[in-house]
Order: sequence, then structure tokens, then C-alpha cells
Amino acid sequence: MLNNRRKFIKNSVLASAAFAVPTILSAKSYSDDENKRTLTILHTNDVHSRLDPFPMDGSNNAGLGGVAARSTVIKQIRSEEENILLLDAGDIFQGTPYFNLYKGEPEIKAMSMLGYDAATMGNHDFDGGIENFAHQLQHANFPIINCNYNFTNTAMQGKTIPYKIIQKGNVQIGILGVGVELQGLVPDNLYGNTIYEEPITKANEIAAILRKEGCDLIVCLSHLGDKYDDAKVSDEILAKQSFDIDLIIGGHTHRLFPQPRKYNNKMGSDVLVNQVGWAGMHLGRLDYNFFGKKKKKMSKAHTVILSKKTN
Amino acid sequence: MFSSKIKKYSSFLFATLFVYACTTKPPQVNYSDYKVDKQTNIDSSYIRMLMPYKDSLDKSMNEVIGFSVHGLFKKQPESPLGNFMTDAIKTMAEKKFGKKIDAAFVNFGGIRSYIPKGDITVGKIFELMPFDNLVVLQELKGDKLKSFLGRVCEKGGWPVSTGLTYAIKDKLPVDILIDGKPIDETATYIIANSDYIANGGDNCDMLKSIPKQNINYLMRDALLEYTRMLTSNAKPIDAKIENRVVYAK
Repeated sequence: MLNNRRKFIKNSVLASAAFAVPTILSAKSYSDDENKRTLTILHTNDVHSRLDPFPMDGSNNAGLGGVAARSTVIKQIRSEEENILLLDAGDIFQGTPYFNLYKGEPEIKAMSMLGYDAATMGNHDFDGGIENFAHQLQHANFPIINCNYNFTNTAMQGKTIPYKIIQKGNVQIGILGVGVELQGLVPDNLYGNTIYEEPITKANEIAAILRKEGCDLIVCLSHLGDKYDDAKVSDEILAKQSFDIDLIIGGHTHRLFPQPRKYNNKMGSDVLVNQVGWAGMHLGRLDYNFFGKKKKKMSKAHTVILSKKTN
Repeated sequence: MFSSKIKKYSSFLFATLFVYACTTKPPQVNYSDYKVDKQTNIDSSYIRMLMPYKDSLDKSMNEVIGFSVHGLFKKQPESPLGNFMTDAIKTMAEKKFGKKIDAAFVNFGGIRSYIPKGDITVGKIFELMPFDNLVVLQELKGDKLKSFLGRVCEKGGWPVSTGLTYAIKDKLPVDILIDGKPIDETATYIIANSDYIANGGDNCDMLKSIPKQNINYLMRDALLEYTRMLTSNAKPIDAKIENRVVYAK
């Protein structure tokens, strides 16, 4: 009886809070832009060594991609926006003869020139062997972020970080990264002693740390793939099973999303997932507008208003 | 006891209200997408950075080694591109290993590009098969071959060379014919695959424990040499759909 009463109190408190939120929000005018803070996220995935554009051979992709053209697009945006984060979701390597001949050196050099803030590792980044990836990182001025590959006793030991907190203007962003199961996907001899750990648990652990640090936005770079027909872990599953992740920048499945997908996480909050095809033919852009100056240090239910950017 | 719970809930309530009070409104996200194309003025510093790599790359990659009558693209369950690749591997592997092969496969995910209509360069073949995968042969009993084909059908059908045909029904292989005859579960067949697949890649675990014949022959070399061979015989690449893999009615 007492127990039921407590439950009732608890539930009604939660219910009224839940009802109160939209009322408070809708009562406030959305044109109230004081304390507005902005962040522009630019992202790529599965670029696969496409340093030059696809050749002009009459095929669908002719003329698309290439680091020189990507740089122009990025420079233009950099000239217009102050707080920019440039991210990549893995599979930097493999796909053009550049990789066969130079093993990823020009790919990493180009990303450093483009000013990437962070990237995660895809399965094809193991293609030259784990020692090769570790070796090519000498050309990187950006971190490789991953929390679910245990690289102990491999050439990659100590060469990745589980997360990074980046301050852009007055926005604090926490970045973490997750990689796909390697067994059955990457030849054993290429990934060596790397141990794949369950990504959802690891990602939630790291995201909780980032939330406690007071990050305004928690971004997970993922090479899990957007979704599958079976129960294989994916961005969709990660989004639904997460607590603190706000945005998943995905890859692996080479899908070009017409718009970011929105899921509800364990807290009932909105999580966005985006992926922009492959080969660097597209650059994704998400402009975040935060209102209010208070940093959130705890997980809570919140919504995200998503709309197509109009110029 | 009860009051401590009340206290706990009220602090929860206050915390909740506190957070909501601090939130003026939810973040707003505007999305957009940029097509990276030739319309964009290119940044010449990247051309300079790539120059030393590209110069020596182009020397080896721009050599024309063949001609394709059509543009060939990957498609399931069967595509002219898959037929070209598997026939190349079967033909060249038979020469290199010096024995008859019943069928050669390429995993669908391993086809990384396409063959354009017209001149085929070395670079095109590198893009088609960028991996340093080796051609390996395995002697498969009919039941093992069937179980491999089961996985192949589950994945939507993979290209196969001349010598074997199959149909897919509810993601299962049916009507498997080898050299025109129904598969014999007790017979032994010589099958060519990449070392990646033969080692259990793409979830082909059933092949992993079966001995592999390996002469360090790259799949890409098979494609390059087959293309050169066609050219030296004055033949273009002219692969077609031959109903090697179909969906069963």
C-alpha cells in the first residue's frame, strides 16, 4: 500500500514534470536568441583513399570528390562560421591505387591539411596491417578516437584516445568513437592482438564521463554501420541504447542520408544519426544552436529541433 | 524511513525542476549537405601536395591494357561485372595452378568499383580489386559447397564463374548445377575463392578449416593478366548476364 502510494507520488511527479516541459518550452518564444551559442559540425565517412575526384569517364560519380574540392568547400564555411568541428567516421584507407602504393600516407597528410579535429578507425584502416596504421599516424595532427578496441600489445597501443573534449568558442564538445567487430570482417593477421569490446557498454561509459565533465554536446564517431536486418549492433541500436550521446556521426554502410535520423534514447531524449555516403563525394553539415548558458551535468530528457538549413 | 524517501524524491524533484528551469529551449539543428564536385574551385595546395605521389602513380596506373564494350557495374544476384571477374579468376587460376577448377567466386562486398565503357587502365583494375587478396583453391565436398552457397544466398547472391549455376529461394540455394549436373553431396569439387573468404571472412566460417592451396597469386593480378590476355587475342571485355544466379520463381 505504502509502496503503491510512493510509486503514485513518484509517477505523478514525473508525469507532471513531463507535461510541464512542453508547456514551459512552448510558452517561451523561440525567437529569443539571447545566450545563443552556435557550433557547425562538418563530417565525412568512408572516404576510401579518394584523394582525386572520380575520373570523367561518364559514370555516375564522374568528377565528384577529391581533397582539393573538399578543401574549397570547407574553407568557404570556415570563412563564414566561427566554431567549426571537422570529423571523420573511419575507412580513410583503401579504394584507390594511392593506398596500394603509398599505404595511406597522402590520405593522412591531406586530412591534417584540411584541419580535421578528430577521426575514428574503420575496418579498412587495418588493411595495410595494424603496424602500418600506427606508422602513418606520424603524419596526423588530429587524434584517432576509439573506446572499444583494446590495442594492448599491438603497434597501436597508446596511439588512440577513448575521448576528447574540445572547446569551440563557448561550446564544449565531448567526442568519443566506436569501431565495428573485426572478426570475420578483417583478416586476423591484419588486426593482430586487437580485442573488440562491446561498443554500447563502452560508449555509454565514456559518454557518462563526458556528461559529468559538462559537455554541451556529446558526439560519437561510429564505424558500426547505420542499421542491419538482423540484431547486429548498429548506430540505430546504439542510439536507442544510449543515455548521454547527442549525435552519432556514422559510416561503414556507405549510406547517404537525405536528412539526419532521429531516435529516442534510454532517457527519452533525441539522438541524431547522420552519414554521408562514401568517397568524399559529400560533406555533411549540422549547425547546432544552443540556447541558454547553463551546462548540463546530468542526463535528462530533452528534445532536438531538426530542420533543413535554408540559405 | 518514509520521510527519508520523501526527502530523496523531493531532492529529485528539485533537481529535475532546476535542470528544466535552466533550459530555456531545446537545441536547434539545421542540416545541409554539400556535393563535392568539379563546380567547386579546387584548392591548388592539395594538387601540389599530391603531385609527387600522383606522378609516379600515374606512370604505372594509366597504362591501357584493355577495352570494355559496355560499362560494367556490380549488382545482385548476377551482374556482367561479377561474371567478368569470376571468369578471369577461374581462367587464370587454372593456368597458374595447372588444374581444372569447378567454379570461382568473388564475394559481393569485395567488388569495390566498376569497369567503365572504353579503355581499361591498370588503375581501373586496382580500384576494382584494391585488396591484396590471393586466389586460393579448396577441395570442397558437395555438402560443404552447399553450406557455403547457403551463406552466399543469405547475403543476396555472389558472382560465380562458368561451371556452376544456382538459384536463390527464400535466401536458400536451390537448383545447384555443376558442369550442368545437379550437385552431388558426396563428390569433391575444386573451388576458387579469395584467401579472405577461405579464411572465414564475410562470415564464411564453414571454409576456414578446409586446407587451402595457395601459390601467392593475387586476385588483382588474375584480373590484370586476364584483361591483357583478352587484348592480345584481339578480344574486348564483353561480359553478359548468363543466368548463372537467379531468383527462383
